[in-house]
Amino acid sequence: MTDAFVRFWGTRGSIPTPGHRTRRYGGNTSCVSLRVGNALYVCDGGTGLRELGVSLMQEQPNDAIEAHLFFSHTHWDHIQGFPFFMPAYSSKNTLYVYDATREERVRQLLLGQMRSDYFPVAFSDLGSTIISRALETGETLIDGVCVRHIEQVHPGRSFAYSFNVAGKKIVYATDSELDLSIQNVSECDANRDRLRQLPAELVKFVQGADLLIADGQYTDEEYATKVGWGHARASTVVDLAVQAGVGQLAIFHHDPMHADEDVDQLLAVARSRVELHGARISVFGAREGLELRI
Amino acid sequence: MSFPKDDVDPEATLSLDSGPVIASLERAQKPYVLEQLQGPGAPRRFVLQLAEMIIGRSLQAHISVDSALLSRQHVQLVRSGPEYACKDLGSKNGFYVNGVRAHSAVLRDGDTLQLGDVVMIYREGE
Repeated sequence: MTDAFVRFWGTRGSIPTPGHRTRRYGGNTSCVSLRVGNALYVCDGGTGLRELGVSLMQEQPNDAIEAHLFFSHTHWDHIQGFPFFMPAYSSKNTLYVYDATREERVRQLLLGQMRSDYFPVAFSDLGSTIISRALETGETLIDGVCVRHIEQVHPGRSFAYSFNVAGKKIVYATDSELDLSIQNVSECDANRDRLRQLPAELVKFVQGADLLIADGQYTDEEYATKVGWGHARASTVVDLAVQAGVGQLAIFHHDPMHADEDVDQLLAVARSRVELHGARISVFGAREGLELRI
Repeated sequence: MSFPKDDVDPEATLSLDSGPVIASLERAQKPYVLEQLQGPGAPRRFVLQLAEMIIGRSLQAHISVDSALLSRQHVQLVRSGPEYACKDLGSKNGFYVNGVRAHSAVLRDGDTLQLGDVVMIYREGE
């Protein structure tokens, strides 16, 4: 049986938030790794990517590193760690950068943030081989893992990815304002306990995931003043997980204003909503340094 | 493996007016601890004195708990700088951090570790 190992390197949204208030869930921005055998898949290059790079260099200092990088989108908190990703500086390493826009947009923006106005080392001076690959519509087989993507609701576009291997499914879906896709808005406005129906295509994309890592940045109360900002209510993410029959739900992209205790409260409400819907889903807060075996 | 030596010099001499120094020493001596709340032998307290420690059913484990739900070598605690991480050693029943089944986890003060019927609270030292 092939095991998949998922590790959280950065779980914070928007901007790094170091300090004791965020110590438990972590202050680095989005980065999650998936290991299947010797293959390494990386979702987003927020500041957590630096930590992953350090770890890789410590674990395999003499081996060539090959990594497949997927970016939900190119807002700062999802690319800012890339110039500090140590494996990018070694000529023996190869990085595949996948682009769901199929416009080399990701590569261009990774390159752009390393212009001399922003950073002392140019992208062209990185020692590793960096290969940009356009992601085809549908599914792509990469080192034995079937990867799919779907566009999400977020200012400037964003994409969710699913990784299927040996009957296991992991979905990474951050920076998605699910609340703007609710199909039964009037019913839900009349009854806040009502299951918020999400688009069938999205539910199918997530269907049966063993692990869904999803943006659940806001409480219901906070969301009222943040409509259009591109992030979801944790309660709506729960409803997606319920409809899609998810096994585990990791609430991700924690709000930079949320201390650990705030995340705990948000999670308690999310778990209550799972119970309300009569579902059995393990809901937890994504935290730095946590590794799951799927 | 020995515990990284970041604590105080036992030969150090304190002057009578060294209040802040004493406070500093007290902080430096706060140990890393696992408090066992449930399971065989509870309640009890384990001071983490080594950089690498095994928890398991084996009598050879650094923290040995006589529970049938524990594997002989269940998890390993590894210290890196100021942090301990806990890693599953292929145990039958796995371990949970704050209710989440983990393969490994960097521990934080107040985390609840569950291994079979053994429940422990991690207390971070300084």
